Amino acid sequence: MNRYFTLAAALYVIGCTMPLLAAELHVTVKDHHGKSVADAVVLATPTDPKSAQRAKPPVDAVDQVDKQFVPYVKPVFVGSKIRFPNSDNIRHQVYSFSPAKKFELPLYGGTDAPPVVFDKPGVVVLGCNIHDWMVGYIYVSETPFFAKTESAGSATISDLPPGEYTVRIWHPSMEHGEETTARQVTLSADAPTSVAWEVGLKPSFRVPRVSGAASPGYP
Amino acid sequence: MGAVRRHVQRDALAGEALECGCSSAATRAACAAFAALIALPYAAHSDWTLGVDGSVRRDDNVGNAQFASDKVADTTFDGRLSIFRLIPVSGSYSLTIGGDLSGEAYHSLTGLNNASLDGLLSLKKKWGLGAYAPWARIGATVARSSYEDSYRNAWDYRAAFASGRRLDERWNLWAEYAYDSRVARALPEEVPGISGDAFSQVSQSLTANVEYSVSESALVSLGLSARHGDVVSTSIPNLTVYYASAAIAEDPAFGPEAYAYKLTGTTWGARAGISFSPTVHSLLGCAIEYWDTHADGSNEYTKTVAEITWNYRF
Repeated sequence: MNRYFTLAAALYVIGCTMPLLAAELHVTVKDHHGKSVADAVVLATPTDPKSAQRAKPPVDAVDQVDKQFVPYVKPVFVGSKIRFPNSDNIRHQVYSFSPAKKFELPLYGGTDAPPVVFDKPGVVVLGCNIHDWMVGYIYVSETPFFAKTESAGSATISDLPPGEYTVRIWHPSMEHGEETTARQVTLSADAPTSVAWEVGLKPSFRVPRVSGAASPGYP
Repeated sequence: MGAVRRHVQRDALAGEALECGCSSAATRAACAAFAALIALPYAAHSDWTLGVDGSVRRDDNVGNAQFASDKVADTTFDGRLSIFRLIPVSGSYSLTIGGDLSGEAYHSLTGLNNASLDGLLSLKKKWGLGAYAPWARIGATVARSSYEDSYRNAWDYRAAFASGRRLDERWNLWAEYAYDSRVARALPEEVPGISGDAFSQVSQSLTANVEYSVSESALVSLGLSARHGDVVSTSIPNLTVYYASAAIAEDPAFGPEAYAYKLTGTTWGARAGISFSPTVHSLLGCAIEYWDTHADGSNEYTKTVAEITWNYRF
């Protein structure tokens, strides 16, 4: 009896410590000139909706540092709560006109602002009504499987259930919509899958932070 | 005779300055700049915004002279420290208080070297949220300018109304109406019956500007302006201008025989510039301005100013 119990316990321990059968997706994004594209959002949507585990969305944050949104691009899962702490020593007035989330946080400093729930998928463009050059993006994703490229233009999505996925790329300066980047990718637990994208980027015009003597400036 | 009177006048002005306990413009500017630099680290950690600007300007007719023989070209080096604070009054109104400390050094006309301290108060309204919301601003500035040749010292008062709108990510339009008043000390009459208060001026101006972003970090700008009011034209004695002048004063900064004539005139101006942002905090620019003035006494003169500027905002 003891022998069976010991065997069962050993099998249980082995089962618990064995890695789960999960896939991994490596993505690199470059522009038409071969330059690495940072801040591109990679979205992996499983063909089988059951594979998209609906984990409880985390509370995340977009900070304001040196009168800029940090990070510049923030992908979040739909339903996430986002806080907007202000690490600057001056106050900011954060707003968005985007259909995916219209909101306004009246002028505040520190961590006074309440979190905002992003309950509709889509792109939310952030701005500050005091500092017109401040622009940031929140990508509200329908799929829980996403990542953002680093400065080298690469991103990794781990712990994916093996299977068929539609993988898309989104970037604030992309010439064409994210639908044009969609690709079908089969992921297996045997080995990581690597996929490379080339996207066209248009110039990103932003309100200048510094105005010359002949300009009205920001007062 | 004129030279003697000039010396007497200068001595009197210098004496008056000493009586006031004042030192030279350069010393005062240095003291103020030192005080401002000490305050910078404190201001940098508060709700204040700081700026530093520098420029090199080449003016082909500093004295606004009509005839080529009277025209004096010179190069100036300007520096400016500015500090301001934005105080939101409500969702759409904001108040700005601030001040500048600036200095201007002439390469040749050193008597025009000056330091200036000014204070600003303005109220801005924005109709809506965001960078594309139309805005209007009304403001007032008071400045004290102190010159190396102290007879030009003056108080400057400015009231301005500006309004504008960013049309899209590339186009920005704005216009400004300004009323300017410069109050200088009246100098002794050079000509009996004609005021010596040549450096006090009143004028009104209207400026329209358009800016266009040519790339992610470069923009071009074009401004057109009209100004009407007092102008000061410095030249050797000129009978035609003399009869049309509201005031006449010696202007030794331009030479021993130079006189400043205050006239009423209209100036048309145009400015074209291009600027480049090497970092998000700084701006490098160059611009050229052309001014065409038509004043009383058939005094018509033009001037061209070319400048290279650098602006930094913390």
